[in-house]
Amino acid sequence: MTDVETLVPRETPPDRPAKTVKRRNGWQVVWSNGKARTGIVILALFVAVAVCAPVIAPFDPKNSTLPAGLQPGGAYLLGTTNLGQDIFSQLVYGAQVSLIVGLLAGVVVTMIALVIGLVAGLLQGVVDEILSFSINLALVVPALPLMVTIAAYSPVHGLSLIIFVIALTGWAWGARMKRAQVLLLRSQDFVTAARFSGDGLWRIVFRELVPNMVSLVVAGFMGAAIGAIGAEAGLSFLGLGDPTTVSWGSMSYWANSNGAMLTGQWAWLLAPGLALSLLITALTLINFGIDALSNPQLREE
Amino acid sequence: MPAANSTDEPILTVKDLNISFVSKYRDDRQVIRNVGFDIRPGEFVGLLGESGSGKSTLGNAILNLLTPTARVTSGELLYKGKDLFTIPAEDLRILRWSEISTVFQSSMASLNPVMTVRAQMEDVFSAHRGTSDAKREMTVEKSLDLVSIDHKYLDFYPHQLSGGMKQRIALAMSLLLSPDLIVFDEPTTGLDVVVQKSILSRLKALQADMKFAVLFISHDLGTVMEMADRVMIMYAGEVVENSPAGDALSGVAHPYTIGLLGSYADPRDAEINIRYIPGRPPSLDSVPVGCAFADRCGLATPECREPRIPTAEIDSLAGHRSIKCVLFGSENSDPLPERTIFDDVGQQIDVHHAAPGAGEVVCRVEDLNKTYSTRKGLKHTENHAVVDVGFELRKGSVTALVGQSGSGKTTIGRILTGVEKPSSGRVTVAGVDVGSLKRRALRNYRSKVQLIFQDPFQALNPASSVGYAISRPLVNHRKLRGSEVQEQVDRILGQVGLTPPSEYRDRLPHELSGGQRQRVVIARALAAQPEIIVADEPISMLDVSIRAEILQVLNELTRSNGIAMLYITHDLLSARLIADEILVLHEGKIVETGSTNEVLTNTRHDYTKLLLSSIPNPWQSRRIAPSLPTASSTSARA
Repeated sequence: MTDVETLVPRETPPDRPAKTVKRRNGWQVVWSNGKARTGIVILALFVAVAVCAPVIAPFDPKNSTLPAGLQPGGAYLLGTTNLGQDIFSQLVYGAQVSLIVGLLAGVVVTMIALVIGLVAGLLQGVVDEILSFSINLALVVPALPLMVTIAAYSPVHGLSLIIFVIALTGWAWGARMKRAQVLLLRSQDFVTAARFSGDGLWRIVFRELVPNMVSLVVAGFMGAAIGAIGAEAGLSFLGLGDPTTVSWGSMSYWANSNGAMLTGQWAWLLAPGLALSLLITALTLINFGIDALSNPQLREE
Repeated sequence: MPAANSTDEPILTVKDLNISFVSKYRDDRQVIRNVGFDIRPGEFVGLLGESGSGKSTLGNAILNLLTPTARVTSGELLYKGKDLFTIPAEDLRILRWSEISTVFQSSMASLNPVMTVRAQMEDVFSAHRGTSDAKREMTVEKSLDLVSIDHKYLDFYPHQLSGGMKQRIALAMSLLLSPDLIVFDEPTTGLDVVVQKSILSRLKALQADMKFAVLFISHDLGTVMEMADRVMIMYAGEVVENSPAGDALSGVAHPYTIGLLGSYADPRDAEINIRYIPGRPPSLDSVPVGCAFADRCGLATPECREPRIPTAEIDSLAGHRSIKCVLFGSENSDPLPERTIFDDVGQQIDVHHAAPGAGEVVCRVEDLNKTYSTRKGLKHTENHAVVDVGFELRKGSVTALVGQSGSGKTTIGRILTGVEKPSSGRVTVAGVDVGSLKRRALRNYRSKVQLIFQDPFQALNPASSVGYAISRPLVNHRKLRGSEVQEQVDRILGQVGLTPPSEYRDRLPHELSGGQRQRVVIARALAAQPEIIVADEPISMLDVSIRAEILQVLNELTRSNGIAMLYITHDLLSARLIADEILVLHEGKIVETGSTNEVLTNTRHDYTKLLLSSIPNPWQSRRIAPSLPTASSTSARA
């Protein structure tokens, strides 16, 4: 044995650090995907329309003093309803409802799924058994009839009810995916290493597990938002939404019940449907970019 | 010795091949640069290189299986005169498997999990040779005989077979249509050493018998040198040497070849001399002008930085050699230059040993047993993973726990670190029984015992920086705060040779090479100032040329910090280098124990002998005395 001084590595490895480390953050990865870029642009347009609705819309959407049942064209771009409301203004304001429902219900669903997935994945034994059973139960119960029943018998109607119903029926799929991801991650060496470094459970959850689940969480949020927007429109179309709010779903409901097709007011029926499809398409396109986030192989085409 | 007659027409000719990876987001990276070579009928050619050298890309190019981002920018690939890059897809389909077949690295993935072995093999046969039932069955069974696998396994699904068995079946499948050329891409990586040895010797025997040509791609120089007639060494996308294997071993070769060979020795020798090449290969984004190896070469001259490096074409007794190095000049067919260059390449590993029995005992393991019981229906089976194991770990000394996979060595490591509880027996550290520790006590215990993982790619959180990983033990175990943490992180990074620390502190793991990551893993273990380190195969996932370096870091740090290390490995050579004491584990029992020298030079147990014989030793199998010209090295090998 020689003395300690000489035992320290004499030679630093001439490993040259790579010259330029191009670190692309998540946003750049998503943006670099052509489909996702298209989706983001469309979504941004919708958001702009929703925010600037009072500026863009020529009339108050609930103002029913206009001439009723006009065809598209002229001063009333898409015509007017049987009650004398401007359809274009309704369409513009409808974007607000869809986006708010998508955002809020998406967040609520994602949070429920994340919490249940984390708890079920981390705590094995009885807790996991119970939670997994609930997840499976929620997955096999048919969502649409349940939504319709709750919405129909609820004493209150309004956006909060819709969000509640969507959250209640939509969390299970995400929770199952997140549980599986936690099970996979917790057995990884770096989690064991964190335990050996003395980290406690909370730090392991939030510094080791959750950062590696970001793409899954974001993708789950997008999926939930798409589902929520569709569900809101569906419930409103069935007349189960808040009859006083103007949304694309309720527009379709009124157009349908007033026989818009028969009276030739095609825009009344078509416009909300097209807007809805376009918004959902945009979100789906963004999801392609998020896939590239979690799977680097999809990044370079 | 070369199986091929050099007058034969080559069956495969590669001419001036250049391949680039193209990407929308970064500059094109040229991964294969001006590669040209021949393979003659019945020849066994080894293709060697470190990870990222382009060897697998070259292998895939030969099968015309390049991924969509790879573009052949120039060059020809002639198989029996036909250019595989330009022939119609249908002709290529017919050629594949019936004339050129392959065995991939992971047969786990190349066998279809929902088909029986028989169905898959018959499928291959039918696709190329029609569907005459009797002949098909006979051929399938015959090819299984070749790899010594019983016919009953034909009706098994892949998941019912062990890794070694699956690899044998992949080999049988590649032989099914008696091809003329088989490409092996790291066929035994990830398999147990003993299994690997048996598969490779089977392959060598079959090849000698059936006279097919082989291109054997591997990072393991020792294995390839043992088997191949000719070896090609790749570095940064170029073939720097193409020589008969015996010539490459002679000590007169490309400096990179010599550097790689420096990692091999016989662990039974009285003194061993292991050398390593400092640094790592250049990134393919910025390959330096001239010789790509010049930056790591102890013999580099200004000539090496010239844009054109000549290739020396030399005829030796065993065949033709091409060496791309200025030391050999560009003279064609001249006799070998009288130059011996062995000692100037690479750096000698310098390890220190403690006297056996020296240092105070910090951990005592007594009568350790671990039994796993599994219940399948009514059947209850018990698996005795660890049986009556006892040993001691001493301060400042390294104890190697050696055995093949399934010998229970990892289980002992897990019990020692408190991850698993023993079935009976005890592990005592500082008077405390480790098996009895719960929660908080266990957490405190881990400030004394740290783990170094096998796979540096899994052991670091991809989302956290290097500095964060190293800071956690400082904060949790050593209760440091604020600027103290930062200072210590920098100091420890310096200790493991990642300097300057500011360069590495904020990096994410994917921005580091495998060797650098393993240094970070070691740094994190050191940060807790442990008394004991359990290192579970810490070098087996690393490239050959950096293994010695990491061993040296481990050795020095454990000894200078007075840490007791349990070094778990299957590799007796690395145990020989680093350990003071060796425990040989077989089926959960310690079959041989003693000081390293004692166990390796005076081996008593057959199992230890089997492990020793599994270590590739190119010189021994070719009966070539490694020609070490200078006095110091010669004595080291005597």
